Amino acid sequence: MNSVNVFLALIVGLVLAPAASGLIAGVDRRITARLQSRLGPPILQPFYDVFKLFGKERLLSNYWLAFCSFVYLVAAATATVLFFFQSDLLLIFFVQAVGSVFLVVGALTVPSPYSQVGAHRELLQILTYEPLLVLVIVGIYMVTGSFKVSAIYELNTPLLFHLPLMFLVLGYALTIKLRKSPFDISASHHAHQEIVRGVYTEYVGPYLGIIEVAHWFEIALVLGLVSLFWSTSVIGIILLLMITYFVEILVDNSTSRMTWKWMLGSAWAVGLSFSVINLVWLHYR
Amino acid sequence: MLDTLLFVLVVAPFIAALGLYFFRANAIRVLIVLVAGVLLAGASLSLFSYAPFAVAPGLLGIEFSPLVTVLDFLLLFLFLGIGIRKRHALITTFASTQLVLLAILEIFLVKHGHESPLFVGDSLSMLMVAVVSIVGSVIVIHALPYMKNHEEHQHLQESRQPQFFAVLVLFLGAMNGLVLTNNFLHFYFFFELTTLCSYLLIRHDKTDIAITNATRALWMNCLGGVALLLAITWIYLDLGTLDMQEIIREAPQTALFLVPCGLLCLAGFTKAAQLPFQSWLLGAMVAPTPTSALLHSSTMVKAGVYLILRFAPAFMGTFFSDAVAIAGAFTFLAAGALAIGQSNGKKILAYSTVSNLGLIIACAGINTPAAVAAAMFLIMFHAVSKALMFLCVGTIEQRIASRDIEDMRGLYATMPLTAIIAVLGSLTMILPPFGMLLGKWMAIESAANNVIIVVMLAVGSAITVMYWARWAGIFMSYPIGERIEVEKQAFLTRVPLLGLLTGAFVLSFAAPWIYTDLILPSINQLSSVFPMATYVTPFDTTGGILANAKGVFPTVPLFLVCIGGGLLAIMSFKRAKKQRAVGPYLSGVQIPDDNTAYRGPLRNAIHPTAANYYLERLFGESTLTGWVNGAAIMLILLMIGGGL
Repeated sequence: MNSVNVFLALIVGLVLAPAASGLIAGVDRRITARLQSRLGPPILQPFYDVFKLFGKERLLSNYWLAFCSFVYLVAAATATVLFFFQSDLLLIFFVQAVGSVFLVVGALTVPSPYSQVGAHRELLQILTYEPLLVLVIVGIYMVTGSFKVSAIYELNTPLLFHLPLMFLVLGYALTIKLRKSPFDISASHHAHQEIVRGVYTEYVGPYLGIIEVAHWFEIALVLGLVSLFWSTSVIGIILLLMITYFVEILVDNSTSRMTWKWMLGSAWAVGLSFSVINLVWLHYR
Repeated sequence: MLDTLLFVLVVAPFIAALGLYFFRANAIRVLIVLVAGVLLAGASLSLFSYAPFAVAPGLLGIEFSPLVTVLDFLLLFLFLGIGIRKRHALITTFASTQLVLLAILEIFLVKHGHESPLFVGDSLSMLMVAVVSIVGSVIVIHALPYMKNHEEHQHLQESRQPQFFAVLVLFLGAMNGLVLTNNFLHFYFFFELTTLCSYLLIRHDKTDIAITNATRALWMNCLGGVALLLAITWIYLDLGTLDMQEIIREAPQTALFLVPCGLLCLAGFTKAAQLPFQSWLLGAMVAPTPTSALLHSSTMVKAGVYLILRFAPAFMGTFFSDAVAIAGAFTFLAAGALAIGQSNGKKILAYSTVSNLGLIIACAGINTPAAVAAAMFLIMFHAVSKALMFLCVGTIEQRIASRDIEDMRGLYATMPLTAIIAVLGSLTMILPPFGMLLGKWMAIESAANNVIIVVMLAVGSAITVMYWARWAGIFMSYPIGERIEVEKQAFLTRVPLLGLLTGAFVLSFAAPWIYTDLILPSINQLSSVFPMATYVTPFDTTGGILANAKGVFPTVPLFLVCIGGGLLAIMSFKRAKKQRAVGPYLSGVQIPDDNTAYRGPLRNAIHPTAANYYLERLFGESTLTGWVNGAAIMLILLMIGGGL
């Protein structure tokens, strides 16, 4: 990578990616509203929300929450930047996990039942999607022979043809990561559904704003992972992302929240068996 | 000079142990422990400049073999005596079997006078010596104030510290001997000596439960001893040598050789408390904390993984090797799952040890140079972080009189420094850029071609995050608004804690250099002897970035981001402190004068409480243990049978 590329990757990773996620969140809210026969907020509403949060008073019930929110932001941003540097996927994933861990650690420091229960549910969500994402990355390695993102762009056929089942597994993980039904057990992705937001409950004002921005980074990263499945053409990437995201919205609006037991059981049963089938298939191909 | 260093590392601890036992004054004990610790640590570091080395038979003109033989028989008669006195059928059987086997081996089979190097030092043994001598010494030093408090609580008539410290220091000498020796029978002696040391340490308090658990540890490790001695006899009959290096080089990889390898691995499994032998290590938790810290981080269990890793090149590329990897990966997963169901802090640490050792054994079984590198990294980083966590929990336990993690809520208010150290210690176990995660990353990348193993590693890794993150959150919780003052602590308690924490950070930062200077030579040596080991490109470490064709881990850049992010977060933490504090969200019925309570029926103030999810019905010991032990026994049979 030359210095121009490094600079571009930094700009895209630090500015454009989270901004795009914010926009997607706005579009998501509009489409969801239409599906529910409502008009919905302006597309820029997520940005207005975050700006408003930054103007609020800094009231905390434990000062470590401030610490944890910044670590979450830095980790999520680092993971996204590493992605645009076309670095090691497994490493990117582990860096991203730093953020998730600190979100939980912060929530656990407060003796509020909502935040405690939310934190434990978030841990169960991490427990559910982590193995699935690792296996998706291993599947990509089986096709390309390398864990680096750069190796994927050297392929001639889209990954989707090699890893169709893995793509479904990624869909599971994506639904959990986007905090959408039926897997929004630790915090719903829209605050309008409930004021008490599980793992987010005790993060307030500017710190909640930071958490929101960090979450945008994470969304950008997971969508980036989705885009790798059609790395051969720009139109392919855009179509794949649009279709995938639209399906996520449909699932979100047509299902209700399930329990963590159901989430863990179904995601592991389906996800692990699909992964194994796809990996075995690649191994003996 | 090399002779002197080896003397300091292997023989001097025995002398120091005698000194500690016979000179019982407190001041002399502190002096001996400190001097021995400094000497051992210094000698282990100086030894690096001599590696690789092979020392001719005899050290400082002394012929060791006859002495070792005599001591070996003494040790076995001691085990037999314990077995008979306790009427313990298993110990008696195992000890007498070993006596018979050893007698046959010594009297009829082994032709003495065969010239082979007595001590051999390569990267792996250097690393182990450093772990034993440095981390081990730090633990023994931390034990000085700890045991003083411990005995004050017990109101003993006569102090039992002389025995305790003598055994601790002896243990370090036995471990150094074990990792440096090249004579298989000497190895066996040191292996059995660690069994004795652990037995004495576990039963130290002499309560009923301590004696029961020590006895259990003894019979399980005696089983390992039988397996080891059987393997030595078999290999000697097959190859006619006790020279460990020669055995590994000339490994014929036939069924007749892989079965004794299976027995060797079985011995390693018992020592490393792998499933289904985990119960002795969990039972060992009744002993004073320094014992647990030593057993879990720098001695005992590491002897088990060392044995397997040492012999891994001998079975490279066989189905047997895959079976070892599967057994290890299964333990990584199952022990991790068992840790989720625990609220007892020491039990969580114990299951975590079993789990991490499983990962190391899985790496030994995957048996590529990258996997071996991962195993060496994991040994080092696990020793430092786990020792730190045990010492933290020990220190906390003496203060709050509980080892239950639920009782550690609010710890930051009473022990801010220890709490922060414990949080950082937990994070070094699971997160990048720290060394444990680097090792896990290398392990997953080298396991990626094996579907069964990689699935178990992926799930196990997620489970690990769950139980560490949960605990770290508890350490940091505290009632807001109180003035926090740094706790008072003995100098010899604080220095080891801070030292180990610094070690965990500095070593993680130095990982690329450790790779080039310590681990790469070992891989190159492996590749030169075993041509099949060369197909993986080793990592290049320019600019503190570990990279090869398969992956990249930018250690130093990540550290810089970590430091920057950390400073930013600390600034935000300090800034937040200037603000008004509020209570947690309580659905709007908070009481004005107590912001942690809400108004309940009859205007009572109710303090809401919450506890962790332990998911006992899924991950409880009683639910899981039977199943996973059964599966582990199957896997061990598969492993030994896989040789045929």
